[in-house]
Amino acid sequence: MLEKFNQLSFVIGFFFTLVALVLLIGYFLTTALAEKINLYTGVCLLVFGLVMINLKSEE
Amino acid sequence: MRLHIADYLIIFIYFVFVIAVGFIIKRRIKSSNDFLNSNRSIPLWITSLAFISANLGAQEVLGMVASGAKYGIMTVHFYWVGAIFAMIFLGVFMMPFYYGSKARSVPEYLKLRFDEKTRGLNAITFAAMTVFSSGISLFALAKLLEVILQWDFDLCIWLAAGIVMVYTFLGGLTSAVYNEVLQFFLIVLGLSPLVIVALQDAGGWEAIKAGLEPQYTHAWKYMGTAEENSMGINFISLIFGLGFVMSFGYWCTDFLVVQRAMIAKNMSAAQRTPVIAAIPKLLMPLIVVLPGVIAIALTKTAQGDDAYRIPMAASGGYDYTMTLPSLISHYYPSGLLGVGITALIASFMSGMAGNVTAFNSVFTYDIYQAYFFKNKSDRHYLLVGKWVTLFGILFSIATAYIAASFNNINDFLQLVFSFVNGPLFATFMLGMFWKRTTSDGAFWGLLGGTIAAAITHGLTIAEGKGGWIAPVYPISSGMGQAFIVASFSWLANFLITIVVSLLTKPKADEELKGLVYSLTEKVYATEKKWYLRVAPLSIILLIITILLNFLFF
Repeated sequence: MLEKFNQLSFVIGFFFTLVALVLLIGYFLTTALAEKINLYTGVCLLVFGLVMINLKSEE
Repeated sequence: MRLHIADYLIIFIYFVFVIAVGFIIKRRIKSSNDFLNSNRSIPLWITSLAFISANLGAQEVLGMVASGAKYGIMTVHFYWVGAIFAMIFLGVFMMPFYYGSKARSVPEYLKLRFDEKTRGLNAITFAAMTVFSSGISLFALAKLLEVILQWDFDLCIWLAAGIVMVYTFLGGLTSAVYNEVLQFFLIVLGLSPLVIVALQDAGGWEAIKAGLEPQYTHAWKYMGTAEENSMGINFISLIFGLGFVMSFGYWCTDFLVVQRAMIAKNMSAAQRTPVIAAIPKLLMPLIVVLPGVIAIALTKTAQGDDAYRIPMAASGGYDYTMTLPSLISHYYPSGLLGVGITALIASFMSGMAGNVTAFNSVFTYDIYQAYFFKNKSDRHYLLVGKWVTLFGILFSIATAYIAASFNNINDFLQLVFSFVNGPLFATFMLGMFWKRTTSDGAFWGLLGGTIAAAITHGLTIAEGKGGWIAPVYPISSGMGQAFIVASFSWLANFLITIVVSLLTKPKADEELKGLVYSLTEKVYATEKKWYLRVAPLSIILLIITILLNFLFF
């Protein structure tokens, strides 16, 4: 797992997955973040993050 | 604008990641070449995105949104006239010399092609420019965060500079480049939702066109004469001043961007770096120009207290610089607000790190090694590179405080930069494509071009600036003045270089192999697939660029 952090696409994917989780968890758990735009952006960032994590990029 | 804990969490995650990238890259740094040049080992997709990201600093993002609001869709000229053609020219014609000559920097190419004094002049001005640019970027970030979030100015300066210092000190150029790619995605993905919601609020593109004067939604139609458009320039000044002199001067000779292509794995990747980077550059107006056009359309049709409006400046009139922060503040709720603010911070840090890494390469190789300590060990230059990084950041902090104390320092420095950058492309163009160009011709041409820029500025006046010799020629916008100053400086450099070259002795052909077009063996593409070759890619991009210009004519 730690070896994967040498791959930039994995680092970028991991970052956006974490940001997406903040938006999605915030959307469902707090009223301050309960806006549709947070949900849609969270889903888009999550998909992007997961694609980047699984991307076999050249390093 | 008040941030929620989720917004702070997103900003914190970003800071942790950029520093972590520094620590990850640190393990790969074994030599000065690794630290300052990335050992020419970076994959194409990373060099391409870093190439575009190095230009996606704060001045670019905030400035282009502001210009979109002020001048409308005409701002796309900075992309579809003032970038794509030059980027393709760099990839197809100039990278073979930069990469093939094995020069470690643009000033070092000048040393190989001309002589030490031309390298020295370029290295010193470039080093000064980058460190001042970095400081101005830092000042602008701290000022913005102070204004919109009421954060402490000093804290912002030291925190942002400290984070950039940690990751550039640890991982050098590679660390900066890797973070630039992360920053690129953050800026694009962080600002995309804003374009969608603001466009929806404005009623779509057709409603915007209906609500604005036609000058705002046509790129070329009102460029016939300077009086017809708000930029105050005609199409000839635009094409020559921006599309040729300023654009080629920046994209083809500024080491800050060229360095990203010079660290590619091989010649083919180095040539394709600016060409691939031109693809996102072509689409960038969607992220940085369109929001400005939407903002002015919303402002002009605003009804009710809740409607979006561009903030007013204290002196009256719109405060265009605050267009993007005000859009983020208006449309982004907590959560996404953190993403938007982080995207802004990323753009500032990207610009600053790019300047610092270009500065340490040029200072270490072209000033320190060339003039002070020539034959030291590699470890010595690695340590110097690291200390120069530290020094560059501290100098940037000092510049940021100077900028905070003197209102006009930013304008003054930007002006000096334009004097230096404007004529530079003539030196490279003649040097690469005319073997008769001599070292003395290049040096005196460069110096003469810079002086011509200062004189032109002194004789023209626009928006109260310039005219310090005599305000002989008034120009309606500062942008128009910049194009004219750049054009005259280029022309002066071009003519002086030719005249002095014809009067002085050129280098022997043997010495110029690999440095001049006519004396360099042509490299033909070896890639089997057409879409991996630089020529077909460039042709497709040129066709799309021309079509886009017609589409928004």
